[in-house]
Amino acid sequence: MTNEELKSKIEADFKDLIQSVVVTAQKEVVVVVAADKYLSLCKQLRDKNGYELNHLSSLTAVDYPKDNKMTVVSHLWSYKNCFQLTVKVDVDRANPHIPTLFSIWGSANWFEREVYDLYGVIFDGHPNLRRIMMPDDYQKFPLRKDFADDGFIVKPS
Amino acid sequence: MTDLLLSQVKSVGESLIGTDEYVVNMGPQHPATHGVLRLVVKLDGETVKETIPVLGYLHRSIEKISENRTFPQCITYTDRVDYVSAMSVNLAFALATERLMGIEAPARAQWLRMIFVELQRLASHLLWMGAFAGDIGALTPFLYGLRERERILDLFEMTCGQRLTYNYIRIGGVMIDVLPEFMPKCRAFLDYFEPKIDEYEGLLTYNPIFLQRTKGVGVISPEVGINSGICGPSLRGSGVSCDVRKQQPYLYYDQVKFNECIESAGDCWSRYKVRMNEMRESVSIIRQCMDRLEPGPIEAKMPPVIKAPVGSEIYSRIESSRGEMGVHLVGDGTAKPWKVKYRCASFSNLYLLDELTRGWKVADIMAVLGSLDMIVPEVDR
Amino acid sequence: MLTGENIVQLVSGLLHWAYAQAGISSWAGIIDPIIAAVVMFGFISVFVMFLVWMERKVSAHMQSRIGPNRVGPFGLLQTVADAIKLTTKEDVKPVNRDKIPYFLAPIVAFVATFMGMVVIPFDKGMVVQDLNVGILYIIAITGFTVIAILAAGWSSNNKYALLGGFRSAAQIISYEVPLVLSVVPIIMITGTLSLSGIVEYQKTAGYWFIFPQIFAFLIFITSATAEANRAPFDIPEAESELIGGFHTEYSGVKFAMFFLGEYIAVVVSSAVAVTLFLGGWLPVAFLGFLHLPGFVWFLAKLLLIIYLIMAFRWTFPRLRVDQLMDFGWKVLIPISILNILITAIVWLCLYGKGAQ
Repeated sequence: MTNEELKSKIEADFKDLIQSVVVTAQKEVVVVVAADKYLSLCKQLRDKNGYELNHLSSLTAVDYPKDNKMTVVSHLWSYKNCFQLTVKVDVDRANPHIPTLFSIWGSANWFEREVYDLYGVIFDGHPNLRRIMMPDDYQKFPLRKDFADDGFIVKPS
Repeated sequence: MTDLLLSQVKSVGESLIGTDEYVVNMGPQHPATHGVLRLVVKLDGETVKETIPVLGYLHRSIEKISENRTFPQCITYTDRVDYVSAMSVNLAFALATERLMGIEAPARAQWLRMIFVELQRLASHLLWMGAFAGDIGALTPFLYGLRERERILDLFEMTCGQRLTYNYIRIGGVMIDVLPEFMPKCRAFLDYFEPKIDEYEGLLTYNPIFLQRTKGVGVISPEVGINSGICGPSLRGSGVSCDVRKQQPYLYYDQVKFNECIESAGDCWSRYKVRMNEMRESVSIIRQCMDRLEPGPIEAKMPPVIKAPVGSEIYSRIESSRGEMGVHLVGDGTAKPWKVKYRCASFSNLYLLDELTRGWKVADIMAVLGSLDMIVPEVDR
Repeated sequence: MLTGENIVQLVSGLLHWAYAQAGISSWAGIIDPIIAAVVMFGFISVFVMFLVWMERKVSAHMQSRIGPNRVGPFGLLQTVADAIKLTTKEDVKPVNRDKIPYFLAPIVAFVATFMGMVVIPFDKGMVVQDLNVGILYIIAITGFTVIAILAAGWSSNNKYALLGGFRSAAQIISYEVPLVLSVVPIIMITGTLSLSGIVEYQKTAGYWFIFPQIFAFLIFITSATAEANRAPFDIPEAESELIGGFHTEYSGVKFAMFFLGEYIAVVVSSAVAVTLFLGGWLPVAFLGFLHLPGFVWFLAKLLLIIYLIMAFRWTFPRLRVDQLMDFGWKVLIPISILNILITAIVWLCLYGKGAQ
């Protein structure tokens, strides 16, 4: 189906769950959802007939300090119906909490650990929310826009 | 009857002797060729209880650095994201930027890109074959694979001057046109190489020891595979049709004929067979591309400074040698991207290592890790 | 005509003349074996150096490489250079090691395998000591390597070395049984344990034992490869994937002794195989007109078997530990027992009771 058809289909099926759905200038269909409807929308996207978005291709976050928010972006793909969908949810920068998608797509496990590690978004319900690339006791969140690296201070022993 | 007896003996033995968990570190310095990956393995005698990968030893903050570089400058960093398969990552980023800005590269550039990406796939699979066989214990195919890879790297060096970090596929096209002697040399290589795949398969594929080490080991069922985000040849070994070149064709993949290589058993041997077949398909694709190549421009007309439109965002996927490679780009109206993310196949493939090796022996960790074709720079970026 | 017998007679004649001159003829019985052992030691040392070079060249050519070709003509002196390097290396020892077993383990490994060469006949009469329990002696001696490996693994005070030592010991013990069982039919047929006697039997019988006992030959070669910890049974050695194996904590000369001990084990096993199955010093039937001395034939056959064992290493992947044990206990032992039964039955049918 074309992007327009997909957009109208989503508007029809998930009217009450989503905030908006647009077809961007780059020919992608983007769904914006609120944090409290996030989990139920994703579950339906995976299970509902006609969607079957069973592949979580990527989960990442984008930092918008000027709007005081971070956006968690999930890219979904359906092996069966061969279409791509983007789901965005805004998270407050000061208190970034959002439910985990691990119960729906297992691949979310490490993607969310990476987002936690680099952006500081906390995923409620994640089984193993530890840092994945930075050392475990690292205090900062490197990919945030206000990250000022004062280097690694190694105490002389 | 014997099971009951055995369990009784075991419990008596354990009460007398006392057993403990045995934690072994397959440290960041690895004799195998996978790179700086650290695996903390909890053993019960010879059996693996848990495998915990510790990442981050090769984290070079490529994504953060790319936020401070212009789009063409970012392409040089893409080579380092996966240095075994650098052309594919170049292509991923270039395609993402082109889609972001609505540019399309001219036909000759697209055909040339296809030739080089498929040659890169061959080179990557040859290195993988050598490393996989070496992990299993057959030390000779490593040298055979590298010998063929040398010829492919010679072709790359002839074109762009580099053997590992090419920076050849640029935004809007390719860097430079191929030399006139490239085509005959490439054809000669393909004619030489095609029977070699059969030769190497004859050495490994039906070898009883190889079969014992890989058949039935590390079985990924299709549901577990899709749920865990595995992609590429590792998932095709489980019977799932997931080739991005077929499902979301980019460049001119919808105009060339090739088969998607799928095996259904889901074990290490199937993944090995998928990659060997993919090598044959790549040879066929390259031949078709070389036949369709027409003279023409190799770079599209582009603005002098590449600026992404405000509020633009794209997620673009290609099929790299290891699986699906995605680039998520966010533009903000300036010449530098607001955000770059590389979605790499090895990162998702490594996640399943723990589940696949529980209850198996230590030697199987190497077999499974090798069959997943994991490259650490992709995992850490 | 130049044969091994003639050479031995010539040399011993010279020696006895020398004793007579020095007036120590009564000591001939003691000095003769010592000189024979020293000659054997010298020969084997040079031969092993040649074998190390040969392995590197064989593996290189199998892998489309060239191998050593700089040190000496065709790289023949490469092993000498390596030996000098190993002897001048620092002897790094773990602090908490168990001193006496740590010191003795490489010596025992080296000496035990060396002792096996004492009964190998290079030609008729060209043997250091032709024991009439030759095979029994060799099988007993190869059991010493187990002690050496366990001692090395334990004394290194390193849990990885210990694990490697255990695995190696388990492997060697498991493959001793098919090794012995595959030799039993030959002992049954020839009625003698002496290696020279077995070669003589093959000479009078007119055929080499490889033809009726092909399975025993294959089992023997497989078990011999496993005894020497060589691929495809090199889990203890190439365990560098995970664990260094029992010789992790050894460096310099001690490591060289383990390394050479492995090569000598290969030589001993191959020599036994040649003697038992390939007719020892007997010439190949249709090439008898060349009138080559017996030890030339012996060395040629020996090099052939050693080349075979080397080719195994660079062709096959490694077996996993449990698959290795499965193969030894569940496949090789039943086949070798069956072989014994069938040999006995066929012999009885063909020649009746009490025939020789």
